[in-house]
Amino acid sequence: MKISEQAVFKWVLIVGAAAASVIALTLLTRPLVGALWGLVLAIGACVYGYRWARMKWREAGAEVD
Amino acid sequence: MESATVALGHDHAEHHGPPEANQSSRIDKQTLGILLFIVSEVMLFGAFFASYFFLRVVVAPSSWPPEPYELPVAVAGVNTAILVSSSFTIHYALEAIRRGNKQGMKLGLLLTWMLGATFLFIQINEYVHLGFSIRDLSFGTIFYSLTGLHGAHVFVGLMLLSFATIRAFRGHFGPKAEDHLGVEVPGIYWHFVDIMWIIVFLTVYVL
Repeated sequence: MKISEQAVFKWVLIVGAAAASVIALTLLTRPLVGALWGLVLAIGACVYGYRWARMKWREAGAEVD
Repeated sequence: MESATVALGHDHAEHHGPPEANQSSRIDKQTLGILLFIVSEVMLFGAFFASYFFLRVVVAPSSWPPEPYELPVAVAGVNTAILVSSSFTIHYALEAIRRGNKQGMKLGLLLTWMLGATFLFIQINEYVHLGFSIRDLSFGTIFYSLTGLHGAHVFVGLMLLSFATIRAFRGHFGPKAEDHLGVEVPGIYWHFVDIMWIIVFLTVYVL
């Protein structure tokens, strides 16, 4: 299993875009709305991260077999 | 050494020293090392964020930051832009060496180092002019702890980048993946530091 700098850079862009959306919502509405949107994004990221880690682990297992 | 050779028996009579370290066949050691390190760092930052959110949500002072303190959001915003830019320059450096462009890699590494140093300089300057210290309420403590923890990581990242830049100018790196691990691993760390700052900026300065 390889994790390259390119993959992590992609995550910088994703987190940057997510942060920009939270900032925009905070400025356009209220900080509470921005915070709730940030919470939704954080939960989504955790679920995605968990599924991604499981998938990578299975792929790495398949490479061994 | 002689006794070790004898103890191994006839089949491995030529072997000297300790046995080879066991390695996972699923993941290579560099990737495993940087992943474990980053996971431990996420937990460290998580502990600080837990304290921060405890203060914001559970203790819940009437205003944040508490009166009469103010945070320089604009300066921190500029600093955020500087640090995010440095992720692009380290990415440029790595793309350059992947194509065999050593000059591009050197330029990218130098720019990244300079942007990182600028970020740190601005943060220290911000600390000097903030008007409150780490001893001023729990707000001051958590503010300096969280931003200081990140600043320490930027400092470590700058050290790693310094070594990578010196090695780049000595001609140590090449286009093959195994020949530029010395830039790739600091690059991954630098992106991690960048992502953490985006989250720190968002939670401490914006929300």
